[in-house]
Amino acid sequence: MLRDITLGQYFPGNTVVHRLDPRTKLIMTVVYIVALFMAKGWLSYAFMACVLFGMIFASKIKLKTIAKSLKAIAIVIVFTAILNMFFTQGEVLFKLWILKITREGVLMAVKMTIRLVLLISGTFLLTYTTSPIALTDGIEALLNPLKKIRFPVHELAMMMSIALRMVPTLIEETDKIMSAQKARGADMETGSILHRARALIPILVPLFISAFRRADELAEAMESRCYHGGQGRTRMKTLGMKARDYIALLCGAGAIAVVVFANLLL
Amino acid sequence: MSVQTREPIIRTENIKHTYSSGTPFEFAALRGVDFEAYPGEYIGIIGRTGSGKSTFIQHLNGLLKPESGKIFVGGIDIHSSKEEPRRARFRVGLVFQFPEYQLFEETVYKDIAFGPKNMGLNDTEIDERVREAARFVNLGDDILERSPFDLSGGQRRRAAIAGVIAMRPEVLILDEPTAGLDPQGRDELLANIDAYHGERGATVIIVTHSMEEAARRAERICVFSNGKIVMNGTPTEVFREGDALAAMGLGVPKAALIATRLRALGVPLRDDIYTTEDIKDALIAIKNGGDGRAS
Repeated sequence: MLRDITLGQYFPGNTVVHRLDPRTKLIMTVVYIVALFMAKGWLSYAFMACVLFGMIFASKIKLKTIAKSLKAIAIVIVFTAILNMFFTQGEVLFKLWILKITREGVLMAVKMTIRLVLLISGTFLLTYTTSPIALTDGIEALLNPLKKIRFPVHELAMMMSIALRMVPTLIEETDKIMSAQKARGADMETGSILHRARALIPILVPLFISAFRRADELAEAMESRCYHGGQGRTRMKTLGMKARDYIALLCGAGAIAVVVFANLLL
Repeated sequence: MSVQTREPIIRTENIKHTYSSGTPFEFAALRGVDFEAYPGEYIGIIGRTGSGKSTFIQHLNGLLKPESGKIFVGGIDIHSSKEEPRRARFRVGLVFQFPEYQLFEETVYKDIAFGPKNMGLNDTEIDERVREAARFVNLGDDILERSPFDLSGGQRRRAAIAGVIAMRPEVLILDEPTAGLDPQGRDELLANIDAYHGERGATVIIVTHSMEEAARRAERICVFSNGKIVMNGTPTEVFREGDALAAMGLGVPKAALIATRLRALGVPLRDDIYTTEDIKDALIAIKNGGDGRAS
C-alpha cells in the first residue's frame, strides 16, 4: 500500500534527538555528510557506522524502519555498486568479453555501498525525528542571512512547508482514487508497459484536478486570514538553542576530527 | 421476506484489519467482523467516524485484504486466487465517499463506460448498460455527451454512481452517498438507489451517519463501534436500544424519539415509526378517529 511508504516520514517521539533544535539537526546532518565523504579508510567507515548506530539508538527509531526506507532505493545502491565494480581500473580478477572485474573495483563497490547506506540512513534520521514544520523553520532560520541579498527566504520556507504538508494528503488522495478506479475494474498490475501507462490516466486526471482545487482552497484560506508573506510576522514557537544543542555541535566537530585522524591511521 | 432460507450473497468470517501495522501509527480498524448479506436485502450500516465501517466495505469487494478471516461472495472465497478479487469487484459495486472526484473522462458517457469496458464487454452491450445506468440516475442523453466537469455537484455525483451501476453489480455498496447534497438532491439520489434495488433485485448496502437515512429504507441495520458489529437487526430492534446507541455517540431518528415520548404520554402509536412521514400518517390516523397502531 502507498500509505506504508516511510520515505521522509516523521515519527513523533520524545527522545534527545527529537528535542534537539532543528537548526542543530540540520547542521549536524551536513557535518555527518561531510565527515562521511572525508572518510577514506576502513577505520573511519567503522567509526561513522558507530556514529550512525549511536544516533539511531538515541532516537529510538526501529532498525526495521530504516531497512524499509533503504529497500526503496536499493536499485540505486546496487546500480552504483555494479558500475564501480566494472569500471574501476586495476588488477584484473575476472574477465568476460569486454567486462572485467578488478580488485580495486570490488573494494570500491563495497566502500560505495557502505557509504551510500550510511549516507541515506543518516539523512533519513533527520526527517524521521523532525516534524516538517520544525524542519522548515530551521531552514528559514539558517538561510536568514540571505535576506540581505533579497533572497525570498520566507517564501521558500513557506513553499517547502506547504509541499511537505501536502505529501501525505496527496498520497492518501492517490490511494483513494486508485481504490475507486479499481472498484470499477481498473487493472494497473498486469499488461504491457504501454497498457500500464494508459491505466494511469484515470488516476492522474482526478489527482491533478484535486491538487489544483486544494491549492486554490488553501490560497483562499490563507488570504482570508490576512497572510501577506513574512514581513513583520511573529512566531508561536520560537527556536532556541539549549545546552544539549551546543553539546551536539561539539560532538559533530569531534566526529570530523576523529575521521581525519582515522584517515591518517588506516 | 424469509431471507434466512437463502444463500447469502456476501458472508464474512471474523475479518480483522490493522492499518500501518508495526509503526507508531498502528490502528486496529476491524477486530473480527462476522457479516452476512442476502440477495435483495437493503442494509444500513451506521457508526461513528473511525468505527471501521469504511474499512469494512472495502473488504467486501477485495480492495483491502484482511489480516485474518475470510470473505465469500456468492459462496466463493474472494482471496482464493489472484484473479478472484477483480472478479468480485464486478459483482460487488462499491461507490466511495464523494465519488465525483473519480471522474476523469472527456464525456459523462465515456466515464460511465469505464467499468463495463474493464469487464471486457462488446460495444453494443456497453452502450446498453451506459444508457440504462444513466436512466437509473436520471441523467438525460444530452448530459451524456457533456464533460463531467461542466455538471453541477449533484449531477456529477449521480454520474459517478452510474459508473458503478453500469457494471450491474449484484450488490451495490455506497459510502455516505448523500454527504454534501442539498435535501432535494439527497431525496432524488436515494430514490435512484431505490429504483436500482427494486428493478434489478440487487442487494443494497448503504453506509451513513444519518439515522433518518438508515431508517428510511433499510430492512436491516448493522451498527459498527470500535471495529466490530455491535448491533444487527431490523430498524425497530436497533432503534429500541436508544440508550446503547447514545452511549456509542449515535442517536435514533428524531421521529422515533418523538414517537417514544408520545407513547410514554399514552398516545397509542405503533412501534416501527422512524420517519417524519410515518409519524405524520400515524397522528393523522388518530386524529381521524382511527388507530395509530395500524400501519
